Amino acid sequence: MANKGLVYDGCNFFRQRLVLSLLSGKRVTIRNIRSKDDNPGLRDFEASFIRLMDKITNGTRIEINQTGTVLSFQPGLLYGGSVEHECNPQRSVGYCLEALLMLAPFMKNSLRAVLKGVTNDQMDPSVDTLKASAIPLMKKFGLDGEGLELKVVKRGMPPGGGGEVLFTCPVRRTIRPVQLTDPGKIKRIRGTAYSVRVSPQMANRIVDSARSILNKFIPDIYIYTDHMKGANAGKSPGFGLSLVAETTNGSFLSAELVSSPQGQGDPALPEDLGRKCATLLLEEIYRYTSVTRWTVSIEDALSKLGCDGGFVDSTNQSLSLLYMTLGQQDVSKALLGPLSPYTIAFLRHVRDFFQIMFKMEAQKHEEESQKGGDKVLMTCVGAGYTNISKTLK
Amino acid sequence: VKRSKVSPQPEKKDEDEEEEEEERKESAGALQWKDGLAQKAAEAFLRQQSATPNLRKLVYGTVVQDEKDNEDETELGGLFRVSRPEKSKREHADALDCSRFAPDASHDWDQEEMLASIRDCFVTGTWEGDKD
Repeated sequence: MANKGLVYDGCNFFRQRLVLSLLSGKRVTIRNIRSKDDNPGLRDFEASFIRLMDKITNGTRIEINQTGTVLSFQPGLLYGGSVEHECNPQRSVGYCLEALLMLAPFMKNSLRAVLKGVTNDQMDPSVDTLKASAIPLMKKFGLDGEGLELKVVKRGMPPGGGGEVLFTCPVRRTIRPVQLTDPGKIKRIRGTAYSVRVSPQMANRIVDSARSILNKFIPDIYIYTDHMKGANAGKSPGFGLSLVAETTNGSFLSAELVSSPQGQGDPALPEDLGRKCATLLLEEIYRYTSVTRWTVSIEDALSKLGCDGGFVDSTNQSLSLLYMTLGQQDVSKALLGPLSPYTIAFLRHVRDFFQIMFKMEAQKHEEESQKGGDKVLMTCVGAGYTNISKTLK
Repeated sequence: VKRSKVSPQPEKKDEDEEEEEEERKESAGALQWKDGLAQKAAEAFLRQQSATPNLRKLVYGTVVQDEKDNEDETELGGLFRVSRPEKSKREHADALDCSRFAPDASHDWDQEEMLASIRDCFVTGTWEGDKD
């Protein structure tokens, strides 16, 4: 075909490219997908992701060559509706969910997705973390109402999976511009300690050790223990912890840690896991509040080809930036921590698809204040995107 | 003789009247900051530039890629080329598509100073004067 649209190389940032392609309506071609690898071409989880994109759209044309190294993607209409999808257990449900969170508000019909597979793994943000941090963030952009829900019906740990997640999201014509500049101070910490197919005591042990660290800062901590049994426990044993710190102005910072999958890696003690996870949350708070480290971290980030902190935590940077891009034609501002490599790549892709560039200002922290490291203030004028396919009632 | 001591405004040296000279010396301290303003500004600007990286350039700037990597591919008998997974060039093109940003583990959160560094992020920390 003569018109290949935007052309990219390699399988990295696969979801970003397809999501932005669907939203902008621009065709995208991805070449050289693992072309030099011993096992070339698209992996099963990517194929599964493409299938999901096909399910939620109407008229999408996908062409993949014989070896799976070239993908041509002609986006169709974001249709939405009721979707059920079996996610590949190589990646967790969070992998698909991150893309759905970006697409859901711009569909024709409101989305009701049932995703099956691994709910918590060590690679992707878990469903618990997304529920506690991404959903409140979406509310900031005017996506509220009873229709917005993310629920863990069954829990599934790697490698077996067997979990089930329900995600529903209302549709909007336009997205509200935001001013997320002053995160305020952390007023409480919430969390979920879960355990499946192991002793229910594991969750309690995690909670105790995490509290021992976090209690030094704030007394308002509540960590739910979630022990699922029988059919709701999935196919593999495991446990983990997801923590979220909420600030006075409604910003959410998250951290999480999961035990290694059965038969892989070192077995973790619940006490260690709890402590480490609490430390990760402190690290996230440090990044989100911190500005001298920024200099080091952006170079570091670019070399790894990422940064985070500020109002939006590291997991949800690209989600907030996307909503800012697609907002009404008004100025949106958000304070982020050092940008993650993934976010930097996302910014570049946004420029490719929407010709929108952000203004970035590094914010130095005051020497004497004990508010952690460096942040960056992201400013943009929304593209004035309107969801014209939304059904009128 | 007096002049050799302090003469911040050398262009006015020619003037002979002693009284005026005296006056000038008194005001000299107050006007000293005006000396070489442009140069100071330039220095401050350079300092600022080196301290804060131009984020926009870092993010949106063109990526310099080594095209040389392609050239030194070894050939076997002039017919076949050895295809190796690329290490340095396009190192990220085929990397794992993952949004999670592994925090650097360089901070030792057992240290009191580290804990102190984020104490004011919490409502229990000290607040700025204008807020409560």
